[in-house]
Amino acid sequence: MTDILRTIDLSKRFRNTMALDHLNMTVPEHSVYGLVGPNGAGKTTTIKILMNILQASDGTAEIFGRDSRKLSPHDFTQIGYVSENQEMPEWMTVEYFMNYLKPFYPNWDSARAAELLHQFDLPLDRKIRNLSHGMRMKAALASSLAYRPPLIILDEPFTGLDALVRDEFIAGVLECAEDATILISSHDLAEIETFASHIGYLDNGRLQFSEEMTSLTERFREIEITLANPVETSAAWPAAWLNREQSTTVVRFVDSHFDQTRTMAEVQGVFGAVQQINVSAMPLRAIFVTLAKAGRKAA
Amino acid sequence: MGQAIHIFKKDVRHLRFEIAIAITVAALFAFIETKHALWPVDAVYSDTPASYLALLLLPVVWWMLIGRAIHDEALPGDRQFWITRPYSWRSLLSAKLLFILAFVNLPMLIAQMVVLHAYGFSIGAELPGLLWSQVLLTIVFVLPVLAISAVTTGFAQLIAGIVTPCVIALALASLKFKYQLFLFGITSVFVSGPGWVWSYLIFLIIAVATPAILLWQYRWRGTTVARCFAGTAWILVAMVFYLISWNTAFKISSVLSRQQVDLSATRLISDSSIRRPYMSFRQGGADVRVQVPFQLTGLPSGATARIEYLSASFQAPDGTTWNADEFSWENPDGPGQQLALMPSFHGGIYLTRNDVPVKVHGTLYLAVFGNPRTTQLPMGDHFVPVAQVGLCSARENYIGSSIRRNYLLICNSAFRSPTGLVSYLFGWSDQDISHQEIPGNFRPFIEEGQLSFSPFPADVRISPVSQEYTAFSDSMTRAFGDIQTFEPLGHIRLDFDVDLGKATMYGSNNNEKIRPWN
Repeated sequence: MTDILRTIDLSKRFRNTMALDHLNMTVPEHSVYGLVGPNGAGKTTTIKILMNILQASDGTAEIFGRDSRKLSPHDFTQIGYVSENQEMPEWMTVEYFMNYLKPFYPNWDSARAAELLHQFDLPLDRKIRNLSHGMRMKAALASSLAYRPPLIILDEPFTGLDALVRDEFIAGVLECAEDATILISSHDLAEIETFASHIGYLDNGRLQFSEEMTSLTERFREIEITLANPVETSAAWPAAWLNREQSTTVVRFVDSHFDQTRTMAEVQGVFGAVQQINVSAMPLRAIFVTLAKAGRKAA
Repeated sequence: MGQAIHIFKKDVRHLRFEIAIAITVAALFAFIETKHALWPVDAVYSDTPASYLALLLLPVVWWMLIGRAIHDEALPGDRQFWITRPYSWRSLLSAKLLFILAFVNLPMLIAQMVVLHAYGFSIGAELPGLLWSQVLLTIVFVLPVLAISAVTTGFAQLIAGIVTPCVIALALASLKFKYQLFLFGITSVFVSGPGWVWSYLIFLIIAVATPAILLWQYRWRGTTVARCFAGTAWILVAMVFYLISWNTAFKISSVLSRQQVDLSATRLISDSSIRRPYMSFRQGGADVRVQVPFQLTGLPSGATARIEYLSASFQAPDGTTWNADEFSWENPDGPGQQLALMPSFHGGIYLTRNDVPVKVHGTLYLAVFGNPRTTQLPMGDHFVPVAQVGLCSARENYIGSSIRRNYLLICNSAFRSPTGLVSYLFGWSDQDISHQEIPGNFRPFIEEGQLSFSPFPADVRISPVSQEYTAFSDSMTRAFGDIQTFEPLGHIRLDFDVDLGKATMYGSNNNEKIRPWN
C-alpha cells in the first residue's frame, strides 16, 4: 500500500501558537483515514497545508508524492475537497455551479453529477445563497465527487448537519470509498467509527497515534477490577493505564495497550489477587474522551 | 486560454448589471461630449452638471467593475472555493485582465473616438494621443484599483485602500506645494510646466508595482508580502515631490523638451533704476513680502519668457536665514522685459527689532517662447487647424437684444494642453482692436499654468478634448479672429542675489513702501 498523503516534520506557527509541531502522518492509498482530535488540535491546519491553502512554517506535506506547495491545477483535478467553512459562489444556482466547474475537470462525469444531484435532492434552480447549510455541503460534495477524484479530503463535513443529511452525505462519500482515498477530519466520532479504516489522533499539534481502526479498537479496553480486600498498592501502575479511578475495592482504568495475557499479568502484579475483572470494548468516542482527559492531566 | 474565456464568461454573467451601468455611463459621457462638440456655443455658456457627473461617475463605475471582478475570485483568505479547484493562475489573471479590457478600456476607447470624431479631429492623426491616453487612463484609473482589489476581499476594504493613501498623498503634496495648490489646483501642479515629470514618476511607480503585486498575488497568494509591495508603492507615490526636487524636475523637463535656441547670454539684472524694491508687512508685522524688480536681458530676438517657478531665501548678516514660503510674480513684459518677483518670508519681527540689512538669494526658472505663428480664422461655424493648439473657431454669438455684438473664440485641443503660448485677436478690417491671451477673462489664473512641456502625446484626462474659449463684446463688426502661437524654445534657470538693505530704510525713505498688509 503506497501513501497518498504524507507529512514530514510538519510544523505551523501562528504568532506565539504552535498549531502543528513536527507532525508525521501518512495516509495509505484506498484507506478512509479519520483525523480526530479536540478543538484546536491542528486538524484543519494540517488539511489546509496539504491543500496548499496555508504555508507550513517548517517541514513538508506531500500529496501523490508531490510537495503540496507545488500542487498544479492538474493535481487539483485529482482531489475532491469539501470544507465546512468553505465560501461558495453564492450568486450561482446549483445547476450553474456544476456546469461552471465541469470544464475544469477532464474526468467530469455528467451522468455521475446528475446522479449525485438527484441522490442529494438538490434544487437545480436555487441559488447557493438560498440553500441551507446542509444543502450547501451536499452541493459542495456533489461538485467534488462528480469527477471521481482518487483523493477526497473532507474537513469537518458533518458540522451543523442534521442526522438525515449526514446519512445522505456519508452514503455519497462511501460510494466512492472503494476507488478513492479519503481523509476526513471530524468531531463526529460515532460517524467516523462506522466507516474509517484508519484513525489518527491529533492533540496540541502532535499526532498521538495513527493506526488502523481494528487495531485501535482492539488495543483499548475499559477494565474494572473488584478487589477481594482493600489494597494499598505500592507497585507503579503501567503507563498504558489511563484515567485510573480507585475506591476501596473497585479499580477502573482504560488500558491503551490491551493484551489479554499481558494485562492480566500486570493486574496481578499491581493488585495481587482480585475478585473479579470486567473487560469491555470501547467505542471510538470513549477512546477519544479517555485520550483527551489523559492529555489534559498530563498537561 | 480556454479556461480564461470560461472564467471571463462567468464574470460577464455575474456582473452583467455592473457592466450595463459602466457601458451606459461611458455612452452618456460620449453623448454629452458629442453634444458639446455639435453645439460648442451652448457648452461655453452653460457648463452642464451632467458632463461633470459623467466625468465623476466614469472612474467610480470602473472601480466598482474592477473591484467586483477581482473579488469574485478574491485572493486573500483561505476559505474561497476556487483555491482548491484546478484554476490556473495565468488563466485567472488573463480572465480578469480581459474583462477590464473589454468593459473599461474598450468602451472608453470607443467613447473617445466618437468624441474626437464629433469635434472634427482626425482619428488617424490623433492615434498616438488616443493610444497613449488609454495607457495613461489605465495606469491612473485601472492599475491602482486592480492592485488594491488583489490584496483586499471586499468593497469596503477597497474603498479604504483607495481613499486613505490619496488623502495622505494630497496632504503631503499640499505641505510641499501649498501655494501652488491653493492658486492653481492639484492638476496644475502635475500637468503644467515640468509637473509632468512628477506625474510620470508616479505612473512609473504604479506601472512597476501593480504587475509585481498581481503576479505575486495570483502566483503565490502571498497577501502580506503583496500588501507590503502596495504600501511601499503608495509611500513612494506620496513622497514623489520629496524624491524629485523642482530643480531636478525642471532639468529633466528641459533636457527632454529640446532646447531650440542658445540661452547662454540670458541674464537677470537687478532693475532698481526703474522700479525700486519694496517690503511690506502683514500678520502683525511677522511676515514680510518683498518685491524685487528685475530686467531680463539677452533673450533671442522676438522671444518672450514666462516664469515657471521661483525659490528664494533671505539672509541677515548674522547668518539667520528664512526660506520664502509664498511666491507671486509679474512675468517679463514689454520691450524692456521687466519682471518682478514677490516672495514672502516669516522674518518681519526679527528685521524690525534688529534693524539689520537683508539679502535675498534665489533661483528663477523660466520658459522661453518664440517663433510666433498666426492663423486667421474667418467668422463662422467651422473649425480651423491651429498648430500646437488643435482646432479653433471664431464666431459671432447673438445674445438677447443687446446692441453690442458678442464674439467668441473657441479652441479645442485633443488629449493635451497647448504646448505653446497662445494669444488671440479679433480683427476689424486690418486693424487690431483687442489683444489678450487665452484662456481669457473667465480663468485668468491658469492662463500659463496650463502649458505642458510633456514630450508625450497625451495628458491624463478622461475627456479627450479640452476646450478653451474667450468672449469679446463690441458694438463694431469684427471680420475675423487671429490665433497667435509661440512655441517653447527652451528653459533656463537663473540665480539672483540682491541686497535689500535694512527694513527701516524703506519706511524712512518712502512711507508708502512700508505699510501694513491688507
